[in-house]
Amino acid sequence: MHRLPRLRRSITTLACAATLALMASACAGDDGGSGTGAEEAPDKKVTITFWHGWSAESETKAVDDLVAKFTAKHPNIKVKVVSNVTDDKITQGIRSGKGPDVVSSFTTDNVGQFCTSGSWTDLAPWLAKSNIDPATTFPKPVLDYTQFQGKRCALPLLADSYGLYYNKDMFAAAGITQPPKTFTELAETAKKLNQLNGDGTFKVAGFVPTFHAYEFSAAHTLAQFGPTYQTPDGKSNLSKDPVVPQFFNWQKQFVESQGGFDKLEKFRTTFGEEFSAENPFMSGKLAMTMDGEWRTAMLAQDAPNLNYGTAPFPVPDDQQDKYGRSYLTGTTVGIAKSSHHQAAAWEFVKFVTTDTEALVAFSQAIHNVPSTNAALAASPLANDEHFKPFIDAFKHPASNTTPASPNGGKYQVTLSEYAYKWEAGQGGDLTKSLADLDKQIDTDVAQVK
Amino acid sequence: MTTTAPAAAEVPAALRRQRRRRNLRTLAFLSPWLIGFTVFFAYPLCATVYYSFTRYDLINAPVWVGLRNWNYVLNDYPPLWQALRNTLWLVVVMVTLRVIFGLGLGMLAIRLKRGGGLFRTLSYLPYLAPPVAATIGFAFLLNPGTGPVNHLLGNVGIPQPGWFNDPDWSKPALTLLALWGIGDLLVIFTASLLDVPREQYEAAELDGVGPWQRFRYVTWPAITPVVLFAVVTGVIQTMQYYTQAMVAGKVASGIIGNSGQSFEPGYPQGTTLTLPQLVYEEGFSTFNTGAACVISLLLFVIAMAFTFLLLRRRSGLLDDD
Amino acid sequence: MAQTVTAEAVGIAPPLAPARTPPRPHRRKRVLTWIGVHTLAVTAVLFFILPFVFLFLTSVMSNKQALTSDLWPTSWEWGNYTKVMETPGFGTWWRNTLLYAGLGTLFTVVSSLPVAYALAKFRFRFRGVALMMVISSMMLPPQVIIIPMYIFWAKQMHLSGTLWPLIIPMAFGDAFTIFLLRQFLLTIPSEYLDAARVDGCGELRILISIVLPMIRPAIAAVALFQFFYCWNDYFGPQVYASENPGAWTLSYGLESFKGAHQVNWNLMMAATLLVMAPVILVFFFAQKAFIEGVTLTGVKG
Repeated sequence: MHRLPRLRRSITTLACAATLALMASACAGDDGGSGTGAEEAPDKKVTITFWHGWSAESETKAVDDLVAKFTAKHPNIKVKVVSNVTDDKITQGIRSGKGPDVVSSFTTDNVGQFCTSGSWTDLAPWLAKSNIDPATTFPKPVLDYTQFQGKRCALPLLADSYGLYYNKDMFAAAGITQPPKTFTELAETAKKLNQLNGDGTFKVAGFVPTFHAYEFSAAHTLAQFGPTYQTPDGKSNLSKDPVVPQFFNWQKQFVESQGGFDKLEKFRTTFGEEFSAENPFMSGKLAMTMDGEWRTAMLAQDAPNLNYGTAPFPVPDDQQDKYGRSYLTGTTVGIAKSSHHQAAAWEFVKFVTTDTEALVAFSQAIHNVPSTNAALAASPLANDEHFKPFIDAFKHPASNTTPASPNGGKYQVTLSEYAYKWEAGQGGDLTKSLADLDKQIDTDVAQVK
Repeated sequence: MTTTAPAAAEVPAALRRQRRRRNLRTLAFLSPWLIGFTVFFAYPLCATVYYSFTRYDLINAPVWVGLRNWNYVLNDYPPLWQALRNTLWLVVVMVTLRVIFGLGLGMLAIRLKRGGGLFRTLSYLPYLAPPVAATIGFAFLLNPGTGPVNHLLGNVGIPQPGWFNDPDWSKPALTLLALWGIGDLLVIFTASLLDVPREQYEAAELDGVGPWQRFRYVTWPAITPVVLFAVVTGVIQTMQYYTQAMVAGKVASGIIGNSGQSFEPGYPQGTTLTLPQLVYEEGFSTFNTGAACVISLLLFVIAMAFTFLLLRRRSGLLDDD
Repeated sequence: MAQTVTAEAVGIAPPLAPARTPPRPHRRKRVLTWIGVHTLAVTAVLFFILPFVFLFLTSVMSNKQALTSDLWPTSWEWGNYTKVMETPGFGTWWRNTLLYAGLGTLFTVVSSLPVAYALAKFRFRFRGVALMMVISSMMLPPQVIIIPMYIFWAKQMHLSGTLWPLIIPMAFGDAFTIFLLRQFLLTIPSEYLDAARVDGCGELRILISIVLPMIRPAIAAVALFQFFYCWNDYFGPQVYASENPGAWTLSYGLESFKGAHQVNWNLMMAATLLVMAPVILVFFFAQKAFIEGVTLTGVKG
């Protein structure tokens, strides 16, 4: 009778021992990769992995071409390319230690998270070693969003700005000659361009100002107001900046002037995929849209007969002096701390971010804004009628971006989630809600410190 | 262990040896499970508790932060309460409707003489559709702009809800999806309805009672255990509700988490948020593992409470035969 | 096994069939009931089947038409299916899914059977406790322990980006399978086993040569369950394999399909039906085993 309790005890002991052993190793096993690759011989044969987020066919091909140029110059380095990688996968891959060597992300908001956590290598020593001075090589806006609190863990790989795309045939049919410049004009123009079906639903919408309408997100649009997201000491500033409520009220009025949220949202659900040939602007469902400069390339490829124009995105009526500004963002590229081939990875990063010829060709292929001063000057895109407004917006002094934060873009998620509630008429009292948002954002930041 | 009890001393050595062999044999047969239980259940559960007191981003070593994560999740984390409210809604409405619908179909199935087999096969089919595929399918069927359902509703002049795109209709849309996959309950209910002793129906018929009373006094008492089982397992499944809500939100929002887009689970407006999605979001999206572990443990406590309810009410599970 | 109702048994002879000279029901009432019952049945079947029909019709529409609310395709684009199958990755996802489901099922059945046998047929002191533990872990939402499991597989075993973190644990018994097999095993009379024991058979021998042939339908049922579980699993591959498209399964790949290839509803529906098809085919071949299995989960006990 005594044997069984002993058996049980030994099982318990075994279980606990196993648990402890596993836990001990769980705590100790965090080497998180190493920087040993720095000592590698420069001509050693290595294979590095490069993750990027481009998904449209023409874009992934352009990336492959870029990589081919690199491997032609560095035959000892083989590059394995993985496309359509999302930020979740980036963080996960790097944290698990099985991520890529070179990694790129479209979400500049996340740079803060990548830098503070140490998941992306500090590039300053590499830049110094290669005699590259970032301040003279890269334009200021892209320099800002690729570092966090003085730590440079990323470099820009082409940049993006936003503008207004409009269908010239539809403009002509409605007797409109000029693209709108202010928000009032935008709403009036959009209204004139709306075409309805017999049952009152949209056949063509002038503009769909709801926050799920692809690039018309809270962050992209709020940039037209020039918001201050953070106080100097890093606290959330939404409730104290008067342009934030101004922005929300403007969007609400805009939505109502076009027939209301429900009607617009229903129309939105008929949109084709954003990066497919069935994109609503390209298939003629929208007369105007907010989009990034890359759309010019897709229009050329998939809708060559569409007669369209581009212009800076309109600005608030009381900020007409800022016309020409836009939200700026771009692709950031860095080296994963877990990479075992840091030197080869740096060669690749250096090439794709600073080689003028390669950058010009790549930006030409996918119609992105070149991200070095030299490439910007050399790019023939500046003469492209459709592309010019985007380069101008990129250089515009009042253009702005969303600041980095230690927990990445979480504050942007918090803001846009509120924006979704707001546009559906469930935002509650705006003043109080913005104060609550500030509190929530500050709490979330404190949680990761 | 030298303290040999007198009783054991009297047992002949051969018998003792045999008993020892039997115990070893039992242990050997159980060993896969014992290892599995330890490594894939007991250890991670302990570790979850440990990590819930740390800040750990999987890159730098865990840092002990005491109750901070608990305080954060319970006091400063509104999605938790929204997820709990959603779960309660799903438990009350979805589980109940599924049981009623399954029971109704079961009673229908046993009344069909010809074509009964075909009826059951066809009704069972949707249950087999992989959840991801079924959910994507429903997101299309119920798409407000292009889906056939609203097209048909429009044709007959019924108001067309926004389904997965409308905060008021997202959970009903998920419920509809759950009713479509009723196959498992249909089989269980059909089987248990056929187990109701026929003589009782006959007796009731002779007494001239109506169909409702026949159901109330003959059918219902006989199938109560099965209904209870369906309810409790339904509740437990609802605690784990993840795939359908996640996929529906992604597809309907049009934001599938491409690079540069951040998908917000629970679309629209958090109305499809559930606890498991929060665990994923905190654990694998923002790598706030401490908070994710706190949510995990809350989920564990709730799920275990229902499991004990099941074990208590259905002690039959533990019987030998 | 009285409670195990096979597909054929269900629905033979309505239980309400009067046995002894019942009062003759009014003919009209009977006809009305017949109409009512069949109308309901047809409505229900439409509810279950129409979604498949609509998915299919959309899957053969052109890109443009799939974005309208049309129900009937104007041009039948059978090429959509070829396009989906030629999508890079689709073949890999198939292979991965088969690997995951195949190995997972094999491991689960082999490792769970002895445990179930011990729980059903051995008498030992902590059997009740062991059974409670099995049932508890059966009810445990997988997300509860996912964080430490991920850390374990990713940081200690360096196996993230593969499906092994999902397959390996299946070699250590699966609670649901153990539970279900035990329920089946309970129905085998112990006398059979005792007779074999008297003949000097070891327990392992008994299990393999006597018990196994008797519970073949049960094995088929649990194997099917496990196969479907792996086939349908979305959370597991999302956590462990999302960073490596080369390790995606159909369920996970299907969800990413839209984003990865910027496809519209028509191709999406074609892919969806292609993922559904094998499961449904398997069902038609193994309907009986499956229904027996489901029945046993709920009715026994």
